[in-house]
Amino acid sequence: MTLFSAIFVMFLSLAPVSWAAEPEMMPSLDMTNPAALQEATRVLEEEIKLAARPQTYVLIDLAANVIVIKGRGVELHRISIERWSASHLVQLTSQYRLNERPAVNRRKIDPAAGAEQDPISLADMPTAFALQFSPPFVVQVLSHPDNPWQWTLQRGGTWWRRLRSWGSFLWTEDKSSLPSLDLTVSVDQAQSLAWTVTENMPFLIRRPTMP
Amino acid sequence: MARVLLSLWSCLLGLFLVTLVQSSGLPMSNASTVRPATADSTGLRTLQARYKTVAKQLTQLMPTQPYILVDTARNHLYIKRQDQVMLDALASTGSGTILDKPGDAKGQWIFDTPRGEFAVQTRLVNPVWVKPDWAFIEEGLEVPKSQADRLEPGVLGEYALGFGKGYFIHGTLYTRLLGKNVTHGCIRLNDDDLKSVYRLARVGTPILIF
Repeated sequence: MTLFSAIFVMFLSLAPVSWAAEPEMMPSLDMTNPAALQEATRVLEEEIKLAARPQTYVLIDLAANVIVIKGRGVELHRISIERWSASHLVQLTSQYRLNERPAVNRRKIDPAAGAEQDPISLADMPTAFALQFSPPFVVQVLSHPDNPWQWTLQRGGTWWRRLRSWGSFLWTEDKSSLPSLDLTVSVDQAQSLAWTVTENMPFLIRRPTMP
Repeated sequence: MARVLLSLWSCLLGLFLVTLVQSSGLPMSNASTVRPATADSTGLRTLQARYKTVAKQLTQLMPTQPYILVDTARNHLYIKRQDQVMLDALASTGSGTILDKPGDAKGQWIFDTPRGEFAVQTRLVNPVWVKPDWAFIEEGLEVPKSQADRLEPGVLGEYALGFGKGYFIHGTLYTRLLGKNVTHGCIRLNDDDLKSVYRLARVGTPILIF
Protein backbone atom coordinates (compact mmCIF):
# COMPACT_ATOMS: atom_id res chain seq x y z
CA MET A 1 0.00 0.00 0.00
CA THR A 2 2.83 2.37 0.96
CA LEU A 3 4.63 1.47 -2.24
CA PHE A 4 1.46 2.14 -4.23
CA SER A 5 1.05 5.53 -2.53
CA ALA A 6 4.69 6.39 -3.19
CA ILE A 7 4.32 5.50 -6.87
CA PHE A 8 1.08 7.50 -7.07
CA VAL A 9 2.70 10.59 -5.48
CA MET A 10 5.71 10.21 -7.79
CA PHE A 11 3.36 9.96 -10.77
CA LEU A 12 1.54 13.11 -9.70
CA SER A 13 4.74 15.05 -9.23
CA LEU A 14 5.96 14.05 -12.70
CA ALA A 15 2.69 14.81 -14.43
CA PRO A 16 2.70 17.88 -16.67
CA VAL A 17 1.70 21.07 -14.90
CA SER A 18 -1.05 21.61 -17.46
CA TRP A 19 -2.97 18.70 -15.95
CA ALA A 20 -3.84 20.90 -13.05
CA ALA A 21 -6.83 23.21 -13.41
CA GLU A 22 -4.76 25.87 -15.09
CA PRO A 23 -6.53 28.94 -16.36
CA GLU A 24 -6.37 29.41 -20.12
CA MET A 25 -7.36 33.03 -20.49
CA MET A 26 -5.71 33.63 -23.85
CA PRO A 27 -5.72 30.49 -25.99
CA SER A 28 -3.68 32.12 -28.78
CA LEU A 29 -0.82 32.93 -26.43
CA ASP A 30 2.65 31.61 -27.29
CA MET A 31 3.99 30.67 -23.85
CA THR A 32 7.59 30.67 -25.18
CA ASN A 33 7.46 34.25 -26.44
CA PRO A 34 8.57 36.66 -23.66
CA ALA A 35 7.04 39.73 -25.31
CA ALA A 36 3.71 37.94 -25.83
CA LEU A 37 3.74 36.83 -22.19
CA GLN A 38 4.48 40.35 -20.98
CA GLU A 39 1.70 41.79 -23.11
CA ALA A 40 -0.82 39.13 -22.04
CA THR A 41 0.09 39.66 -18.38
CA ARG A 42 -0.27 43.43 -18.74
CA VAL A 43 -3.73 43.00 -20.27
CA LEU A 44 -4.80 40.51 -17.58
CA GLU A 45 -3.63 42.87 -14.83
CA GLU A 46 -5.76 45.64 -16.33
CA GLU A 47 -8.65 43.23 -16.78
CA ILE A 48 -8.55 42.22 -13.12
CA LYS A 49 -9.17 45.86 -12.17
CA LEU A 50 -12.19 45.97 -14.49
CA ALA A 51 -13.55 42.54 -13.59
CA ALA A 52 -13.48 43.37 -9.88
CA ARG A 53 -16.26 45.93 -10.41
CA PRO A 54 -19.86 45.33 -11.49
CA GLN A 55 -19.61 46.36 -15.13
CA THR A 56 -19.16 45.04 -18.63
CA TYR A 57 -16.07 45.91 -20.65
CA VAL A 58 -14.51 45.27 -24.04
CA LEU A 59 -11.21 43.63 -24.92
CA ILE A 60 -9.97 44.32 -28.44
CA ASP A 61 -7.58 41.42 -28.91
CA LEU A 62 -5.45 42.23 -31.95
CA ALA A 63 -3.30 39.15 -31.36
CA ALA A 64 -6.31 36.84 -31.73
CA ASN A 65 -8.27 39.13 -34.12
CA VAL A 66 -11.37 39.28 -31.92
CA ILE A 67 -13.36 41.80 -29.93
CA VAL A 68 -14.65 40.25 -26.73
CA ILE A 69 -17.42 41.72 -24.59
CA LYS A 70 -16.75 40.66 -20.99
CA GLY A 71 -18.03 40.99 -17.46
CA ARG A 72 -16.34 39.60 -14.32
CA GLY A 73 -13.75 37.96 -16.58
CA VAL A 74 -16.49 35.96 -18.32
CA GLU A 75 -16.77 36.13 -22.10
CA LEU A 76 -20.27 37.37 -22.98
CA HIS A 77 -20.00 37.87 -26.71
CA ARG A 78 -17.33 37.58 -29.39
CA ILE A 79 -16.90 39.54 -32.60
CA SER A 80 -14.38 38.50 -35.26
CA ILE A 81 -12.06 41.10 -36.73
CA GLU A 82 -11.48 40.63 -40.46
CA ARG A 83 -8.72 43.20 -40.74
CA TRP A 84 -7.17 45.91 -38.67
CA SER A 85 -4.61 48.65 -38.91
CA ALA A 86 -3.29 50.98 -36.25
CA SER A 87 -1.20 54.03 -35.63
CA HIS A 88 0.78 54.59 -32.43
CA LEU A 89 0.10 51.01 -31.39
CA VAL A 90 2.95 51.10 -28.88
CA GLN A 91 1.05 53.73 -26.89
CA LEU A 92 -2.15 51.68 -26.55
CA THR A 93 -1.57 50.47 -23.02
CA SER A 94 -4.27 52.34 -21.07
CA GLN A 95 -7.83 51.60 -20.10
CA TYR A 96 -9.94 53.67 -22.47
CA ARG A 97 -13.42 54.96 -21.60
CA LEU A 98 -15.90 55.38 -24.43
CA ASN A 99 -17.12 58.98 -24.66
CA GLU A 100 -20.47 58.15 -26.25
CA ARG A 101 -22.12 55.26 -28.03
CA PRO A 102 -22.79 55.45 -31.78
CA ALA A 103 -25.84 57.51 -32.64
CA VAL A 104 -29.04 55.67 -33.50
CA ASN A 105 -32.30 57.06 -34.81
CA ARG A 106 -34.77 56.27 -32.01
CA ARG A 107 -38.49 56.35 -32.73
CA LYS A 108 -40.55 58.69 -30.57
CA ILE A 109 -43.85 57.50 -29.11
CA ASP A 110 -46.71 59.83 -29.90
CA PRO A 111 -49.57 59.17 -27.42
CA ALA A 112 -51.97 61.24 -29.54
CA ALA A 113 -51.37 59.10 -32.63
CA GLY A 114 -52.28 55.93 -30.77
CA ALA A 115 -50.23 53.77 -33.13
CA GLU A 116 -47.32 51.83 -31.65
CA GLN A 117 -43.86 52.86 -32.80
CA ASP A 118 -41.49 50.29 -34.25
CA PRO A 119 -38.79 49.37 -31.76
CA ILE A 120 -35.14 49.76 -32.67
CA SER A 121 -33.36 46.59 -33.64
CA LEU A 122 -29.89 45.50 -34.70
CA ALA A 123 -30.77 46.47 -38.28
CA ASP A 124 -31.08 50.12 -37.19
CA MET A 125 -27.50 50.20 -35.94
CA PRO A 126 -24.79 51.84 -38.04
CA THR A 127 -22.46 49.65 -40.10
CA ALA A 128 -19.56 52.10 -39.94
CA PHE A 129 -18.83 54.42 -37.04
CA ALA A 130 -16.11 56.01 -34.96
CA LEU A 131 -15.68 55.41 -31.25
CA GLN A 132 -13.94 58.23 -29.37
CA PHE A 133 -12.28 57.57 -26.04
CA SER A 134 -10.69 59.19 -23.02
CA PRO A 135 -7.71 59.31 -22.88
CA PRO A 136 -7.77 60.41 -26.53
CA PHE A 137 -7.93 57.45 -28.90
CA VAL A 138 -10.16 56.66 -31.87
CA VAL A 139 -11.48 53.34 -33.11
CA GLN A 140 -12.92 53.43 -36.61
CA VAL A 141 -15.23 50.47 -37.24
CA LEU A 142 -15.77 49.54 -40.88
CA SER A 143 -17.71 46.77 -42.56
CA HIS A 144 -18.48 45.50 -46.06
CA PRO A 145 -21.93 46.86 -46.84
CA ASP A 146 -23.81 45.37 -49.80
CA ASN A 147 -24.48 48.85 -51.11
CA PRO A 148 -21.48 49.86 -53.29
CA TRP A 149 -22.12 53.55 -52.58
CA GLN A 150 -21.84 52.99 -48.82
CA TRP A 151 -18.71 50.90 -49.36
CA THR A 152 -17.14 53.67 -51.46
CA LEU A 153 -17.99 56.28 -48.82
CA GLN A 154 -16.48 54.15 -46.06
CA ARG A 155 -13.29 53.45 -47.99
CA GLY A 156 -13.05 57.05 -49.12
CA GLY A 157 -13.28 58.20 -45.51
CA THR A 158 -10.54 55.80 -44.47
CA TRP A 159 -8.24 56.87 -47.29
CA TRP A 160 -8.87 60.53 -46.57
CA ARG A 161 -7.97 60.10 -42.90
CA ARG A 162 -4.81 58.21 -43.84
CA LEU A 163 -3.74 60.73 -46.43
CA ARG A 164 -4.28 63.55 -43.96
CA SER A 165 -2.27 61.72 -41.33
CA TRP A 166 0.60 60.97 -43.76
CA GLY A 167 0.46 64.51 -45.08
CA SER A 168 0.70 66.09 -41.67
CA PHE A 169 3.55 63.73 -40.77
CA LEU A 170 5.52 64.35 -43.98
CA TRP A 171 5.05 68.08 -44.29
CA THR A 172 4.84 69.27 -40.74
CA GLU A 173 6.55 66.33 -39.04
CA ASP A 174 3.72 66.49 -36.55
CA LYS A 175 3.97 63.34 -34.50
CA SER A 176 1.30 64.36 -32.04
CA SER A 177 -1.67 62.83 -33.91
CA LEU A 178 -4.03 60.62 -31.89
CA PRO A 179 -3.56 56.89 -31.56
CA SER A 180 -6.10 55.23 -33.79
CA LEU A 181 -7.30 51.81 -34.76
CA ASP A 182 -9.25 50.82 -37.88
CA LEU A 183 -11.24 47.61 -37.48
CA THR A 184 -12.98 45.87 -40.37
CA VAL A 185 -15.72 43.45 -39.30
CA SER A 186 -18.80 41.99 -40.98
CA VAL A 187 -21.93 44.16 -41.28
CA ASP A 188 -23.76 42.11 -38.61
CA GLN A 189 -20.83 42.29 -36.25
CA ALA A 190 -20.44 46.05 -36.70
CA GLN A 191 -24.12 46.50 -35.83
CA SER A 192 -23.76 44.13 -32.90
CA LEU A 193 -20.81 46.15 -31.56
CA ALA A 194 -22.70 49.44 -32.01
CA TRP A 195 -25.61 47.92 -30.07
CA THR A 196 -23.48 46.61 -27.24
CA VAL A 197 -21.23 49.52 -26.35
CA THR A 198 -22.41 52.07 -23.83
CA GLU A 199 -21.23 55.45 -22.66
CA ASN A 200 -18.23 55.29 -20.34
CA MET A 201 -17.64 51.60 -21.12
CA PRO A 202 -14.01 50.59 -20.52
CA PHE A 203 -11.94 49.17 -23.39
CA LEU A 204 -8.60 47.34 -23.32
CA ILE A 205 -6.30 46.59 -26.23
CA ARG A 206 -4.12 43.50 -26.47
CA ARG A 207 -1.37 44.20 -28.98
CA PRO A 208 0.21 41.53 -31.15
CA THR A 209 3.86 40.65 -30.65
CA MET A 210 6.52 39.48 -33.03
CA PRO A 211 7.18 35.75 -32.90
CA MET B 1 2.56 67.28 -67.97
CA ALA B 2 4.95 64.36 -67.59
CA ARG B 3 5.55 65.36 -63.98
CA VAL B 4 1.84 65.37 -63.23
CA LEU B 5 1.43 61.95 -64.84
CA LEU B 6 4.42 60.64 -62.89
CA SER B 7 2.96 61.96 -59.60
CA LEU B 8 -0.43 60.44 -60.43
CA TRP B 9 1.21 57.13 -61.30
CA SER B 10 3.17 57.15 -58.01
CA CYS B 11 -0.02 57.83 -56.05
CA LEU B 12 -1.88 55.00 -57.78
CA LEU B 13 1.03 52.63 -57.22
CA GLY B 14 1.11 53.63 -53.55
CA LEU B 15 -2.63 53.06 -53.18
CA PHE B 16 -2.31 49.68 -54.90
CA LEU B 17 0.49 48.57 -52.60
CA VAL B 18 -1.36 49.66 -49.47
CA THR B 19 -4.53 47.93 -50.66
CA LEU B 20 -2.49 44.80 -51.32
CA VAL B 21 -1.10 44.86 -47.79
CA GLN B 22 -4.59 45.46 -46.39
CA SER B 23 -6.26 42.71 -48.37
CA SER B 24 -3.59 40.26 -47.25
CA GLY B 25 -4.82 40.81 -43.71
CA LEU B 26 -1.50 42.24 -42.60
CA PRO B 27 -1.49 45.08 -40.13
CA MET B 28 -0.86 48.45 -41.85
CA SER B 29 1.04 50.28 -39.22
CA ASN B 30 4.81 50.41 -39.15
CA ALA B 31 4.51 49.96 -35.42
CA SER B 32 1.89 47.27 -35.58
CA THR B 33 3.49 44.78 -33.28
CA VAL B 34 5.22 44.90 -29.96
CA ARG B 35 8.91 44.14 -30.37
CA PRO B 36 10.07 40.90 -28.80
CA ALA B 37 11.74 41.08 -25.46
CA THR B 38 14.69 38.86 -24.87
CA ALA B 39 14.69 36.53 -21.89
CA ASP B 40 16.79 33.60 -20.84
CA SER B 41 15.13 30.40 -19.66
CA THR B 42 14.93 31.64 -16.05
CA GLY B 43 13.43 34.90 -17.20
CA LEU B 44 10.95 33.05 -19.38
CA ARG B 45 9.90 30.82 -16.48
CA THR B 46 9.40 33.91 -14.31
CA LEU B 47 7.22 35.48 -17.01
CA GLN B 48 5.23 32.26 -17.39
CA ALA B 49 4.72 32.01 -13.64
CA ARG B 50 3.60 35.64 -13.44
CA TYR B 51 1.15 35.13 -16.31
CA LYS B 52 -0.34 32.02 -14.66
CA THR B 53 -0.70 33.81 -11.32
CA VAL B 54 -2.51 36.76 -12.89
CA ALA B 55 -4.71 34.47 -15.02
CA LYS B 56 -5.67 32.59 -11.87
CA GLN B 57 -6.54 35.84 -10.09
CA LEU B 58 -8.90 36.72 -12.94
CA THR B 59 -10.47 33.26 -12.83
CA GLN B 60 -11.21 33.78 -9.14
CA LEU B 61 -13.35 36.81 -10.01
CA MET B 62 -15.62 34.75 -12.25
CA PRO B 63 -18.96 33.65 -10.78
CA THR B 64 -18.83 30.14 -9.38
CA GLN B 65 -22.59 29.90 -8.85
CA PRO B 66 -25.19 30.12 -11.66
CA TYR B 67 -25.51 33.55 -13.23
CA ILE B 68 -27.99 35.13 -15.63
CA LEU B 69 -26.79 36.38 -19.00
CA VAL B 70 -29.04 38.54 -21.21
CA ASP B 71 -28.33 39.27 -24.87
CA THR B 72 -30.55 42.27 -25.62
CA ALA B 73 -29.66 42.37 -29.33
CA ARG B 74 -30.84 38.81 -29.99
CA ASN B 75 -33.38 38.73 -27.14
CA HIS B 76 -32.14 35.66 -25.31
CA LEU B 77 -31.73 35.01 -21.62
CA TYR B 78 -29.33 32.31 -20.49
CA ILE B 79 -28.60 30.80 -17.14
CA LYS B 80 -25.02 29.64 -17.08
CA ARG B 81 -22.80 27.96 -14.57
CA GLN B 82 -19.18 28.40 -15.64
CA ASP B 83 -19.23 27.20 -19.28
CA GLN B 84 -22.41 25.14 -18.92
CA VAL B 85 -25.67 26.59 -20.29
CA MET B 86 -28.44 25.55 -17.87
CA LEU B 87 -31.22 27.45 -19.65
CA ASP B 88 -31.56 29.20 -23.01
CA ALA B 89 -34.81 31.19 -23.12
CA LEU B 90 -36.33 33.45 -25.74
CA ALA B 91 -36.98 36.86 -24.16
CA SER B 92 -38.23 40.33 -24.93
CA THR B 93 -36.09 43.31 -23.97
CA GLY B 94 -36.20 47.11 -24.26
CA SER B 95 -37.62 48.73 -27.40
CA GLY B 96 -35.24 51.70 -27.41
CA THR B 97 -38.12 54.06 -28.19
CA ILE B 98 -38.49 57.41 -26.45
CA LEU B 99 -41.39 59.23 -24.83
CA ASP B 100 -41.39 62.91 -23.92
CA LYS B 101 -42.16 63.84 -20.31
CA PRO B 102 -45.09 66.24 -20.34
CA GLY B 103 -44.28 69.66 -18.90
CA ASP B 104 -40.54 69.02 -19.09
CA ALA B 105 -39.07 70.40 -22.32
CA LYS B 106 -35.86 68.39 -22.11
CA GLY B 107 -37.07 65.36 -20.16
CA GLN B 108 -37.82 62.05 -21.80
CA TRP B 109 -37.98 58.35 -21.02
CA ILE B 110 -35.74 56.03 -23.05
CA PHE B 111 -37.04 52.48 -23.02
CA ASP B 112 -33.74 50.59 -23.04
CA THR B 113 -32.87 47.53 -21.01
CA PRO B 114 -29.90 48.68 -18.94
CA ARG B 115 -26.53 47.12 -19.89
CA GLY B 116 -23.85 46.05 -17.46
CA GLU B 117 -23.68 43.89 -14.35
CA PHE B 118 -26.54 43.74 -11.87
CA ALA B 119 -27.73 41.31 -9.21
CA VAL B 120 -31.11 39.83 -8.28
CA GLN B 121 -32.43 42.05 -5.49
CA THR B 122 -35.94 40.74 -4.99
CA ARG B 123 -37.82 37.51 -5.75
CA LEU B 124 -41.57 38.04 -5.90
CA VAL B 125 -44.43 35.55 -6.24
CA ASN B 126 -47.64 36.72 -7.95
CA PRO B 127 -46.30 40.24 -8.43
CA VAL B 128 -48.63 43.17 -8.95
CA TRP B 129 -47.57 45.81 -11.44
CA VAL B 130 -47.53 49.32 -10.00
CA LYS B 131 -47.96 51.25 -13.23
CA PRO B 132 -45.46 54.10 -13.49
CA ASP B 133 -46.31 57.54 -14.97
CA TRP B 134 -45.08 56.64 -18.48
CA ALA B 135 -47.55 53.75 -18.74
CA PHE B 136 -50.44 56.23 -18.50
CA ILE B 137 -48.86 58.98 -20.59
CA GLU B 138 -48.00 56.53 -23.36
CA GLU B 139 -51.68 55.60 -23.62
CA GLY B 140 -52.75 59.23 -23.58
CA LEU B 141 -54.32 58.85 -20.11
CA GLU B 142 -54.09 61.08 -17.11
CA VAL B 143 -51.68 60.00 -14.37
CA PRO B 144 -53.82 58.95 -11.36
CA LYS B 145 -53.33 60.62 -8.00
CA SER B 146 -54.25 57.53 -6.01
CA GLN B 147 -51.71 54.71 -5.71
CA ALA B 148 -54.56 52.18 -5.79
CA ASP B 149 -55.37 53.25 -9.34
CA ARG B 150 -51.89 52.25 -10.45
CA LEU B 151 -52.13 48.61 -9.37
CA GLU B 152 -52.54 46.02 -12.09
CA PRO B 153 -52.40 42.37 -10.98
CA GLY B 154 -51.91 39.40 -13.29
CA VAL B 155 -49.90 41.02 -16.09
CA LEU B 156 -46.38 40.16 -14.88
CA GLY B 157 -46.85 36.40 -14.63
CA GLU B 158 -46.37 34.23 -11.56
CA TYR B 159 -42.93 35.51 -10.59
CA ALA B 160 -40.77 38.61 -10.87
CA LEU B 161 -37.08 39.10 -10.14
CA GLY B 162 -36.13 42.70 -9.46
CA PHE B 163 -32.65 43.92 -10.33
CA GLY B 164 -32.90 47.59 -9.37
CA LYS B 165 -34.36 50.93 -10.49
CA GLY B 166 -37.74 49.36 -11.23
CA TYR B 167 -36.40 46.78 -13.71
CA PHE B 168 -37.65 43.18 -13.45
CA ILE B 169 -37.40 39.83 -15.14
CA HIS B 170 -41.07 38.83 -15.35
CA GLY B 171 -43.71 36.97 -17.36
CA THR B 172 -45.90 38.27 -20.15
CA LEU B 173 -49.36 37.96 -21.67
CA TYR B 174 -47.83 38.71 -25.08
CA THR B 175 -45.82 35.55 -25.72
CA ARG B 176 -46.03 36.09 -29.50
CA LEU B 177 -43.70 39.09 -29.02
CA LEU B 178 -40.94 37.05 -27.36
CA GLY B 179 -37.74 37.40 -29.37
CA LYS B 180 -38.46 41.06 -30.11
CA ASN B 181 -37.41 44.37 -28.57
CA VAL B 182 -40.77 45.54 -27.31
CA THR B 183 -40.52 46.23 -23.58
CA HIS B 184 -39.99 49.40 -21.58
CA GLY B 185 -36.72 48.01 -20.23
CA CYS B 186 -37.85 44.93 -18.30
CA ILE B 187 -37.01 41.42 -19.49
CA ARG B 188 -40.02 39.25 -20.34
CA LEU B 189 -40.08 35.44 -20.48
CA ASN B 190 -42.73 32.79 -21.02
CA ASP B 191 -44.22 31.07 -17.97
CA ASP B 192 -42.06 27.91 -18.06
CA ASP B 193 -38.77 29.77 -18.51
CA LEU B 194 -39.75 32.27 -15.83
CA LYS B 195 -40.37 29.42 -13.41
CA SER B 196 -36.94 27.93 -14.17
CA VAL B 197 -35.23 31.28 -13.67
CA TYR B 198 -37.09 31.83 -10.40
CA ARG B 199 -36.01 28.39 -9.13
CA LEU B 200 -32.36 28.79 -10.13
CA ALA B 201 -31.81 32.41 -9.10
CA ARG B 202 -31.24 33.61 -5.55
CA VAL B 203 -31.00 37.10 -4.15
CA GLY B 204 -27.48 38.14 -5.19
CA THR B 205 -27.33 36.04 -8.35
CA PRO B 206 -25.34 38.12 -10.89
CA ILE B 207 -27.16 39.35 -14.01
CA LEU B 208 -24.87 40.28 -16.90
CA ILE B 209 -26.65 42.25 -19.62
CA PHE B 210 -25.13 43.28 -22.96
